[in-house]
Amino acid sequence: MEPTRNSHATLIDLLDRVLDKGLVINADLIISLAGVPLIGVNLRAALAGMETMLEYGLMKEWDARTRAWESERRKKNVEPICTA
Amino acid sequence: MGLETQQGGKTQVTLVTEALLVEEKGRYVYCVAGAGEGVSLGKIGIEGGGVYTIPCKDICAVVHNCPPQPYQSDNQEVVKGWVMTHQRVVDTAWERWGVVLPLSFDTIIREEAAKSAERNVKDWLEQEYEELKRRIDKVKGKAEYSVQVFWEPEIIVRSLTFISPEIRRLDEEIKSKPKGLGYMYRQKLENLIKHQMEAEADECFKNFYSRIRKYTDDVRVEKTRKAEPDLQMIMNLSCLVYRDRYAELGEELEKINRMRGFVVRFTGPWPPYSFVEGA
Repeated sequence: MEPTRNSHATLIDLLDRVLDKGLVINADLIISLAGVPLIGVNLRAALAGMETMLEYGLMKEWDARTRAWESERRKKNVEPICTA
Repeated sequence: MGLETQQGGKTQVTLVTEALLVEEKGRYVYCVAGAGEGVSLGKIGIEGGGVYTIPCKDICAVVHNCPPQPYQSDNQEVVKGWVMTHQRVVDTAWERWGVVLPLSFDTIIREEAAKSAERNVKDWLEQEYEELKRRIDKVKGKAEYSVQVFWEPEIIVRSLTFISPEIRRLDEEIKSKPKGLGYMYRQKLENLIKHQMEAEADECFKNFYSRIRKYTDDVRVEKTRKAEPDLQMIMNLSCLVYRDRYAELGEELEKINRMRGFVVRFTGPWPPYSFVEGA
């Protein structure tokens, strides 16, 4: 069989790689937002649905943090940032 | 970004000037390529950024100039576009120089009090030169492929029921039991099937892995994921493959794909995202 690159199914394969993998640069040289990959969160939520992603076992570390943060926000009655 | 929401020409002009000033303060890094050239690749970057290379000896970093803040957006389509652009730039460099170490999305080298971002990139290349060269050598002439094997649980269960004497015996017993007891037996049967399915998945994994391994230079075992409702992923591998061996791997995968109840997904070639860290 021939490998494929251009279907919708390969998009998730590509995102897995571009968002989670690749060469790592020393943290003190790069810009980050408290180590939380916000873009990854948004994008994956849109593609797979949050619960599915968690079942995938992806990004468990930030999940706890993000949820704690979100529940703090809710206590303060702020609008949720994620509308999806 | 955000300019369009501003009203009045004056405000906009000021903002554009500020944007230009801060733009120099970060370097978005796409990949490290195995060539010592300092060249421009044109405005092919994220948000039309001008992509160029910062060389150090016989390697270079492929970058564009950007503000010192990560790319963020609530608009999924925008973000998806950025990620695709990132990948296209890495691909362009990969085609041109034959070997790249890709970075993940949104890696931006910043300036420090006394050091420009450009200087930081150069120093990083210089300090890490030996290690980067070692990794470049590892992935040279190879590409990454994703291999995922799924099975259709219904079909597998049916064939297990057919071949496993234990399951058949239990199945027969259930039919002879009164309703109340039948429930307990069905539970027992379900557990037995679950157990045997796991053992079968394990067997398949070992078997497929050793067959696939032969055609690869290196393999990473990735977490399996939920697939479609009637398919279950039993294997998720990233494979580093010599460029002239992917067809052989494809043939082997075709054999697995033809087995009843099994489906193989084979994608790539990808730049070697999974093989530039560790090992």
